[in-house]
Amino acid sequence: MSRDDADSSGLREELARNQETIDRLNRDLAKRTSEIRIIQQISTEITSTLDLREVLEIVLGAMERVLGFRHSMLLLAEPAGDALVVAATRGYAQPEANARVRIGDGVIGVVAERRTLMRVGNVGVSLRYLQAIRTRMQAAGQAPAGDDLVALPGLPDVQSQLALPLLVKDRLVGVLVVESPKSNAFDELDEVLLRIVGNQAATAIDNARTYEMVDRLGRLKRFFSPHLAELIIRGGADDPLKTHRREVTVVFLDLRGFTAFAETAEPEEVMGVLREYHAEMGQMILAHEGTLERFTGDGMMIFFNDPLPVPDAGLRAARMAVEMQERVSTLTVKWRRLGYGLGLGIGIAKGFATIGGIGFEGRWDYGAIGTVTNLAARLCGEAKAGEILVSARVAAELEDLGETEELAPLTLKGFARPVAALRLVGLKSPP
Amino acid sequence: MATLPDEIRAAMQGVVPSHVVTCAADGTPNASAISQVYYVDADHVALSHQFFNKTKRNIEENPQAAVWLIHPETFETWDLELVFDHSETSGPIFDVMNMQIEAIASMVGMKGIFKLRAADVFRVVSVTKTSGERIPLSQIPRADR
Repeated sequence: MSRDDADSSGLREELARNQETIDRLNRDLAKRTSEIRIIQQISTEITSTLDLREVLEIVLGAMERVLGFRHSMLLLAEPAGDALVVAATRGYAQPEANARVRIGDGVIGVVAERRTLMRVGNVGVSLRYLQAIRTRMQAAGQAPAGDDLVALPGLPDVQSQLALPLLVKDRLVGVLVVESPKSNAFDELDEVLLRIVGNQAATAIDNARTYEMVDRLGRLKRFFSPHLAELIIRGGADDPLKTHRREVTVVFLDLRGFTAFAETAEPEEVMGVLREYHAEMGQMILAHEGTLERFTGDGMMIFFNDPLPVPDAGLRAARMAVEMQERVSTLTVKWRRLGYGLGLGIGIAKGFATIGGIGFEGRWDYGAIGTVTNLAARLCGEAKAGEILVSARVAAELEDLGETEELAPLTLKGFARPVAALRLVGLKSPP
Repeated sequence: MATLPDEIRAAMQGVVPSHVVTCAADGTPNASAISQVYYVDADHVALSHQFFNKTKRNIEENPQAAVWLIHPETFETWDLELVFDHSETSGPIFDVMNMQIEAIASMVGMKGIFKLRAADVFRVVSVTKTSGERIPLSQIPRADR
């Protein structure tokens, strides 16, 4: 071999090495470029909506279309913080919507607990191995008896799982999971890709949830005190807009002489009186933790024992009614000076009602259906200015605390037989 | 100097059990199947220590170990010569191994019972790809089968 040949072969080797480096850099660049393209594509899609359902569908859709993950699930953290709930799935024969995973159970639960990504490529083998160990340890009395498996959502024959905690400022929003029936289906690149989607998904989900919460809070505050509305949002009280049946005490009030007054007075005067009256009554409803179901002009309907359960609904209702009459009596003095002949009539009844959201998307109202609301309204209609009429059940609950006068049974619209009613004139303080 | 080739990583995902051979102080060998040999870096692997068993006792007496790995798809095999380096009870390697064990254990109601006590880290002394070098069954004398 001549010297020249040796030189040129050395040069060739060096050129080949350089070409390898260039190829490697090109591959890296191509990977980077495709990562950025993926980020752009997915972020454009994810940020296009504030609807939580849509966000979840877009995330899983993009994972399949752009990244090629065929089986994916998105679980959201429950407000109480001890479990996750399946919120969206893709690529499952039997989607397990609403299935729960306790924090700490299985790959998903441990990822949520540790807030760290986990990739497992041998779920099936590991499970069989551990079941064998359990049998041995049980025989030696070192493990509790039983051969059950914790039921977890996902592929029945799952071998590979890659699960990522979705975090927003250290707060767990949920867990994003991809699965495969093949072992070792995922590698480090899949981790990178999942992290890219996960970060964006976490923010989008959080935004959608915040938006949903503000929207719901606004809706709830129309009926409930701000404190109660927040309690409901945080999961500390049941959602009152879900249909349910409960025993409630219903208070109905309206102003005697209001129709005549509204017919003769200027609209501005009517609005002024209503504003004053609503403000005063509203304060008392809040103070006694009642629920304002609705008001129509001068009429108001207030519940006790829903959505916030109280042990003394009847007594609270009676106390509020007595205070309302006292307050209105000072208002009527002023109104009378202005020439308005107004007075307050109140009816109180107690009984079971079906309560929940009534209406349609975008315009839900909280409402109750049952004889009890009708009875309270009719008693209110019978009450003269300054009077509180209560049903026999309410009077029975008040026992000795209520100062009542019996009335002759009333014939009321919607009631086949005369109804027993009492006039509440005052309340004794509890001993 | 990197010892472990990239292609070996698929054999370190625990799909097919691996085998580890150790020796007691008097030279008595012990072979046992283990669920997973964990990849730490190109020169180190980790074995999980859940129970105090013969392997663990032997390592304390003699730090040398041999591991046989099987690729779950191609069935290629590798022989690894190892020397025990140190045990970890916290840190990234321990956490990764611990999380996996906890995830599976929680599914069979063994959380807290079947748990990782330590990640035993070994230095890789040599790696030999052994596919095709095994003695064919036909060459083993019938009496030894």
